[in-house]
Amino acid sequence: MTEPAHLTVTPRRVTSGAFLLEVTGELDYHTSTLLTEAVNEAPFSDESVIIDLSGLTYCDSTGISVLITAYNRSRAASSRLSLTGVSPDQMRVFELIGLDQVFSFYATPEEAASAGRP
Amino acid sequence: MTTTPSTTSPALPVDEAARLAAVHRYGALETAPDRAFDRIASLAARIFGAPMATVAIVDSDRIWFRAAHGLAGATHTDRVPGLCASAVLHGGPYVVTDARTDSRTRGNPLVEGDPGVRFYAAAPLTTARGHCLGAVDVLDTRPRRPTAAQLDSLQDLAALVMDELESRLSTVRTITAERERRTEAERLARALQRTLLPPALPEVPGLRAAAAYHTASTHEVGGDFYDLFPLDDGRWAFFIGDVCGKGADAAALTSLTRYTLRAAAIYDPDPCAALANLDLVLKGEYQGGDPRYCTAVFGVLDPLSDGSFGVTLAGGGHPPALALRADGTVQPISTMGGQLVGMLPDPRFVRTTTRLSAGESLLLYTDGLTEARTPDGGMLGEEGLVRYLAANAVGAGGDPQHALLGCVETLLEDLGRGVSDDTALMALSVPAHPETALQENR
Repeated sequence: MTEPAHLTVTPRRVTSGAFLLEVTGELDYHTSTLLTEAVNEAPFSDESVIIDLSGLTYCDSTGISVLITAYNRSRAASSRLSLTGVSPDQMRVFELIGLDQVFSFYATPEEAASAGRP
Repeated sequence: MTTTPSTTSPALPVDEAARLAAVHRYGALETAPDRAFDRIASLAARIFGAPMATVAIVDSDRIWFRAAHGLAGATHTDRVPGLCASAVLHGGPYVVTDARTDSRTRGNPLVEGDPGVRFYAAAPLTTARGHCLGAVDVLDTRPRRPTAAQLDSLQDLAALVMDELESRLSTVRTITAERERRTEAERLARALQRTLLPPALPEVPGLRAAAAYHTASTHEVGGDFYDLFPLDDGRWAFFIGDVCGKGADAAALTSLTRYTLRAAAIYDPDPCAALANLDLVLKGEYQGGDPRYCTAVFGVLDPLSDGSFGVTLAGGGHPPALALRADGTVQPISTMGGQLVGMLPDPRFVRTTTRLSAGESLLLYTDGLTEARTPDGGMLGEEGLVRYLAANAVGAGGDPQHALLGCVETLLEDLGRGVSDDTALMALSVPAHPETALQENR
């Protein structure tokens, strides 16, 4: 039996109107429920949502399906979803499965928040 | 205190066969040195102020010392009545205050020979079902009269030994049960895996097709799939893909995906239409609850009059197929820009075409291969795979089919534990000499 992988999801407000989820660790089959819950509780209808992946060390297909769920929620609420701090390796995976065309990417949450302001 | 008539032949418990079975079941004849039992033997000796004590197990014809204090390295003795062999016949403590005058110990070699035992006290090791495995006993070369407190302590020590044996038995049983459960789970996973893949690829005239499934984990069913089947107009369709997740849920999704793609191909064999159809089915099936996706390449093979095959591919978020050309180059047949199937609102699937001539092959694979870790810790990647194939698979002479799949399987073996996910492989090759192909496909 392997040790359960470790994941933390920290909600934070960057500026008014920009809600941030900081994801750190391994996002996979065993840990993704934590992010699913955070995404379900995120205020998509009131604010733009940023998911920061700069602390992400691993992401499997289950993790990716949670990110798409977040995207689908933001679309349903006609709000913005941005991903920040995506590593080059992770970006290659996004490109391969066509998700580079789906998300808005920024280097940092602050950049994403200011880009989102009208 | 019980007495028993003296006999010269070993008296046996009524249910000796059941008793011996218990001795073996408890692993009581284990010969490895045992510190827990050593401590109990020396504690018994100290409580009685006696020079010798043992934790003894009575086998069919011998008495084995699991621990022996003051017996100069003795490991066993013959099962002769008088001392321990008689003690196991009793429900409670067995005491000989002076062996020289006690008729029960007459003829016992430990009494009449070395070390000349005069005093003997034993508390039986009795299982919950009442089988006596042996005893914790104390011996002295002087006659003595034990106190009730000493005999009570001796019984407590015997109970301690029994507790230890019970706990070890329960551990062994737990481990055995866990091992059996895991073996059964592995067997089920493999059986399920087999039902998700075609038992054999059909024979396509003028083409050689081979597929392989590399399992990374024996206890988790992965979600890779592939198939090759005829369309009703002389063309052939094939697909390969990978569903997200693992285990039973992934297996159900794999099964749904495979049958949907086969049905879609009958309805409309256009590769993009097949993926779009799958996308609708997956969204309908996994609405709400727990959304799921897969990545796939769907292709149609069109046999042309010159022996080559026209290939139309559509990609939904899947790694590019690789064409091994007759001139020795490896060419990615990219469907980059195609999106994963089953979760996005309006996914885009990218279509491309190529042609396979004599001596050329197409390799389709899932990302278990390209995401495998190389010995230097990096991912193999598409570039690494292309380099490897260019160096090892092409120009290996004559048989591109064998060269290609064999080459990739060698690569997987070399990567070993670096391959952390299941990998499906399919190779489609047009033989360099068409007549050989016809013969071998007959």
